[in-house]
Amino acid sequence: MKKFIKSIILFIPYTIVIYLLMLIIWGTLLPGKYNFNLNYRIGSYGHMYSRMRDVKKVKNIDILILGSSHAYRGFDPRIFQKYGLSAFNLGSSGQTPIQTKLLLDKYLDKINPKIIIFEVSPLIFSTDGVESALDLIANDIIDSHTIKMSIELNHLKVYNTLLYGLFSQLVNLNAGYREPIARRDDTYIPGTGYVEKKPKYNDEKTADDKRYEINETQLLYFKKVVDMIKSKNISLLLVQAPVTSTLYKSYGINARFDNIMEQNGNYINYNNRIDLDNFLHFYDLHHLNQRGVSLFNEMLIQDIIKNKIVNRKERNCHR
Amino acid sequence: MLFNSIDFAIFLPIIFIIYWFVTGKNIKYQNLLILIASYVFYGWWDWRFLSLIFFSTIVDYTVGLNLGRYNKPSTRKILLIVSICVNLGLLGFFKYYNFFLDNINTAFSFLGQSVSLQSLHIILPVGISFYTFQTLSYTIDIYNKKINPTRDFLSFAAFVSFFPQLVAGPIERASNLLPQFKMRRRFNYDDAADGLRQILWGLIKKVVIADNCAQFVDMIFNSPGDYSGSTLFLGALFFTFQIYGDFSGYSDIAIGTARLFGFKLMRNFAFPYFSRDIAEFWRRWHISLTTWFRDYLYIPLGGSRVSLPGTIRNTFIIFLVSGFWHGANWTYVAWGGVHALLFLPLLIMNKNRNNIDLVAKDKKIPSLKELVNISVTFFIVVLTWILFRADNISHASEIFKGIFSVSLFTIPSFNGMEKALMLIIMITLFMIIEWVGREHNFAIERIGINRPRFIRWSFYSFLIFLIGMYMQTTETPFIYFQF
Repeated sequence: MKKFIKSIILFIPYTIVIYLLMLIIWGTLLPGKYNFNLNYRIGSYGHMYSRMRDVKKVKNIDILILGSSHAYRGFDPRIFQKYGLSAFNLGSSGQTPIQTKLLLDKYLDKINPKIIIFEVSPLIFSTDGVESALDLIANDIIDSHTIKMSIELNHLKVYNTLLYGLFSQLVNLNAGYREPIARRDDTYIPGTGYVEKKPKYNDEKTADDKRYEINETQLLYFKKVVDMIKSKNISLLLVQAPVTSTLYKSYGINARFDNIMEQNGNYINYNNRIDLDNFLHFYDLHHLNQRGVSLFNEMLIQDIIKNKIVNRKERNCHR
Repeated sequence: MLFNSIDFAIFLPIIFIIYWFVTGKNIKYQNLLILIASYVFYGWWDWRFLSLIFFSTIVDYTVGLNLGRYNKPSTRKILLIVSICVNLGLLGFFKYYNFFLDNINTAFSFLGQSVSLQSLHIILPVGISFYTFQTLSYTIDIYNKKINPTRDFLSFAAFVSFFPQLVAGPIERASNLLPQFKMRRRFNYDDAADGLRQILWGLIKKVVIADNCAQFVDMIFNSPGDYSGSTLFLGALFFTFQIYGDFSGYSDIAIGTARLFGFKLMRNFAFPYFSRDIAEFWRRWHISLTTWFRDYLYIPLGGSRVSLPGTIRNTFIIFLVSGFWHGANWTYVAWGGVHALLFLPLLIMNKNRNNIDLVAKDKKIPSLKELVNISVTFFIVVLTWILFRADNISHASEIFKGIFSVSLFTIPSFNGMEKALMLIIMITLFMIIEWVGREHNFAIERIGINRPRFIRWSFYSFLIFLIGMYMQTTETPFIYFQF
């Protein structure tokens, strides 16, 4: 038995070393699509790499925008600028409250915004947050907050990507990388965090009915985010960005979701407030095109300026 | 509790440590620990069904004792019937009740009569087909005076519920496993190390091969109309490796786990996809079930020592029952029937025992004849698995029609082709390792065993890396749990 225990004790660190070595070899030599549980994609979808470089230059702004692709494709800081409001969009693909908390831990004190617009939706609250975590690990500096988030997610793909990301960071593997501003139909607007889509119209007509279940961990982190913002005396506006009515109806838990949000702060669901056309104002079921973004942002800014967000009764009467 | 879960990864070392360090010198304490651990293991899934295991244990223990006490043939027969009725009754109710009801309804409506017998919402208790057969073998063996009944209830209860093989086999015989509960178990380094190696290989089969195949199998089998013949055939091929990886992987983990506790379970798979004919395939696939049916059904019916029509009848019975054992669906019966049809020519021509030895023994590669035979047998097995996987006969028929069409000669096309390509590479490597290690109980049992430790450990570590890189990140239950 002694020999067995001794072998096990020696084998474990040996395996860890081989595992790390293989992870580095696999991650470096094999294209990402062949690595099922390693997804280190720098400069991937959504211009996260550029956004994370820009955020480090942002200080003392009026509005910080957080959320998923509905945020970084739906809130255009250039429109806010027209009204004299400086804004930065720190949305990321599939960003869940777990990642929002990470981003705030890292950057909130430095950005020091007056208002935070937190884009929320049942879709995002129903996910586990793994894909978004991978996006952050690959495109931002890995620090103790990132490691903490990875442990919270406790997912093999996240651990593998984190370990490979740490190696990349250590040997400065991405030193020469420059993310192109334009990629396919997307153009990143430098200094804003916003991604603009080329003029395009939605041609997807149906969305499968899904009964989304709110993930309790996401809810817990959402509350942590809300508490953190409130503790720093920053105004918080929870916004559900407009999506096509077909998609919105397919969520299945809208009333419950609205209720949860209302209990946690100033909340506006623009799916009930703005009248948009499913085809003219969107480029797919989820996302506004630039025409839709303009209409939505104008209304949102008016709401902020006129301070309607604080008047709960008035907000509810729009439903 | 699933073998491929974090729960089990925590559970196993805890039980191992208590077993060897706390209860190490006392068999009774060891058996008690195994019994408790087994009930916890099973109860993790649904504690309510523990009562079924306990009931089956009590009945067969009592029947066993009485079979030992009475010599009068009629009394002994009644006792055996009680055991058979209780075990098959449980199995029949939980597994086949709704099937029979549905078929009665269909039969009556076919005859123009309207009966609407209401089916019940019955949850199939995991592993019921396995432990009922295991306890049945105990009473049948006592009835046939092959073994003596045990008076040690604790050993018997631990034998029935032994957690490594409780839910998906191997279906052990009392003559092999029960005496091990009565003997002092000593820790053996080689056994434990072999056990760990077998667990590792079982995990590779399950989480790397089977679970990845499952994704494509589900996608392709769920909408066969959307795919070409070549894609459907590829789907069947993936299922061939899914079912093997899943089930033989479970067996490997079960056998390896048992070895850690000083138990030797019977072999359940012997590289069946290298079989040269269907008869050999059945000697190598799910050995514990095949031999169970041979010993407790085929031979009592007369086996092949009766007239030719009798032999044909017995062969059909064993294959059809074996198919039906897998599930309450005509597809399983058809699968068994097709295998009977494939087996019969060999039996009639007395060629069913032509390939007893290991293929290409002491050689690195098979001869051309062996290769052709292996390929033909494999191809047939792939096609028969379609029946096994299909939801119903018309679903299977749709897949067969799709495969045997002109589109069989097109390039397969479906979502996730790149992932599938990687999977095909892994399956190829896996089969090469299986071929290299085919002379042993499991593929990696002796691979590199005489090499320096760092080479062996690097190989095992690489396998662990493959698990970390390619395992499905959601826990997938083993297919055979449903049987």
